[in-house]
Amino acid sequence: MNAMFVRMNKMMKSLPRCFALLGVLLVFCAPTAAQHAGHHAMTQTGHAARPDLGATAAFDARGVLWAAHKDNGHVAVSRSDDTGRTWSKPVYVNAVAEPTDTGGDARPKMAIGASGQLYVTWTRPLAKPYTGEILFSRSVDEGRSFSPVMTVHADRQQITHRFDAITVNKQGQIFVAWIDKRDGIAAARLKKGYRGAAVYYAVSDDHGASFRGDYKLAEHSCECCRIALLAQDDGSVMALWRHVFAPNIRDHALARLTPDGRAGTLRRATFDDWRVDVCPHHGPSLAQDAAGRLHAVWFTQVAKNSGVFYGRLREGGVEWQRRVGGQTAEHADLAVTGNRVALAWKEFDGERSRLRAMISDDGGEHWREHELAVTAGASDQPRVLVRAGAFHVFWNTRREPLLTVPLP
Amino acid sequence: MIKKTLHVTFAVLALCFAVNAYANHIEIKPFDTASMEAIHAQYKGRPFVLSFWATTCDPCRKEMGLWRALKLRYPSMPIVLVATDGPADQAAVTAFLMRYNPGPVQHWMFADEFTERLRYTVDKSWRGEMPRTYFFDVAHAAEAHSGLLERRPVEQWFVRHSRRAR
Repeated sequence: MNAMFVRMNKMMKSLPRCFALLGVLLVFCAPTAAQHAGHHAMTQTGHAARPDLGATAAFDARGVLWAAHKDNGHVAVSRSDDTGRTWSKPVYVNAVAEPTDTGGDARPKMAIGASGQLYVTWTRPLAKPYTGEILFSRSVDEGRSFSPVMTVHADRQQITHRFDAITVNKQGQIFVAWIDKRDGIAAARLKKGYRGAAVYYAVSDDHGASFRGDYKLAEHSCECCRIALLAQDDGSVMALWRHVFAPNIRDHALARLTPDGRAGTLRRATFDDWRVDVCPHHGPSLAQDAAGRLHAVWFTQVAKNSGVFYGRLREGGVEWQRRVGGQTAEHADLAVTGNRVALAWKEFDGERSRLRAMISDDGGEHWREHELAVTAGASDQPRVLVRAGAFHVFWNTRREPLLTVPLP
Repeated sequence: MIKKTLHVTFAVLALCFAVNAYANHIEIKPFDTASMEAIHAQYKGRPFVLSFWATTCDPCRKEMGLWRALKLRYPSMPIVLVATDGPADQAAVTAFLMRYNPGPVQHWMFADEFTERLRYTVDKSWRGEMPRTYFFDVAHAAEAHSGLLERRPVEQWFVRHSRRAR
């Protein structure tokens, strides 16, 4: 048995060219194989797949709530004039129904421009595993129609450009950041190792008519956690993401994106020392209070301190780091208005998922906790939104689509 | 030249048939809220390895070769892989398994989108990070591990437990 194994190993090593040929053949064969497999899925699970629940939302300056979500295979935008109690018929953003990146931290994203423009990004998976491209479309007529879909990045290799994040600064410039593997692939060509992926970004100066980039923010990010973006008063944007510090510490890093494409110095933001090669599928969230302090929530799983955490990020450390929720707490989000901070997350109790929230009126020192909603079906990650100084939590659930709950 | 092209074409066609035949023979069972119990029952009195992965997880890809090597070396040890991708992604799961071939192991994939509920049947403290692997001893006491496994400690576990796996 052992001898056979060694022989097989040798054979494997001498076959890279054959594998390359096989790879090419597999590409040709894939459509028929996929058809068979797809047919299989229908018979095994007994129903066709329902639209993915991944969704995000934003209030515009007038208090209208907009949601980007999936509908009938399309990326769609819905509008609510009563903070989520009722929703308009969804308007399709992409004219053609097509697969989008779903599951984990992938979902359509939305941001609102200075004059109420709606900006939507999402990731379209490409044929090879782990690959994708970041797509963008905008509406300049209050969501009645959307522009033809465009690719945000200049790089057109069939590689990872995924986990898009979008924000708009006060000057109206749009920033789109994403996880990008071009540096890892370039290193692999030189037979060199590479930790994780990289974060790249592009900027639009013309309200989304075009983007310029691709600017590198940082190398060695984790590969499939969402990036948090936060527009600053000076026109720059702060980013918080799960990094891979040497050798494999999956804590978070903070850096500034500037409109001219210069990336600020990277600094470590969380210090849990989670050493692992893993896909947490669990990115952070970032917000800033009236005094300029940065508040964050994130997930880590070091042996004795595992779960969701909140803290204030300061140079070289975290203030008031505290656990959020119970044993099954996951996918927390946060927002700030003035000195008030709100966190929301979900917890599963064995039968139902519970949407829970914590609110602080004093910048994170004291907290009160509330339960906002419960659902007995599948649900997306919650998002905390601010409208006229009040918090709302957006939670797309199978039973109550685009559910929006005001915080007490 | 024509002859050569014909030969290549035939080879490509033959391989396509072979690959499709293989794809049709990857049996993937739907993992629902009763499946964890069913897996325990199936391997009652035997140790086994249970590993959760996803097509979106890069370290998971690296682990497929480890399962293939271990299955060849310790054929009696049951290895059960569960893809946590949703039912809509079965084509992607099959393509992934064809590409990164984990060897003759047992396959399941999440049968519904309510993933918290499925994870809860396995382990209340698992938040969905991947790869997530459980090493069950003969009494089904579990050692859980998040993240890419190192070959040496895993192989030591296989050495220790494979005698009881038959």
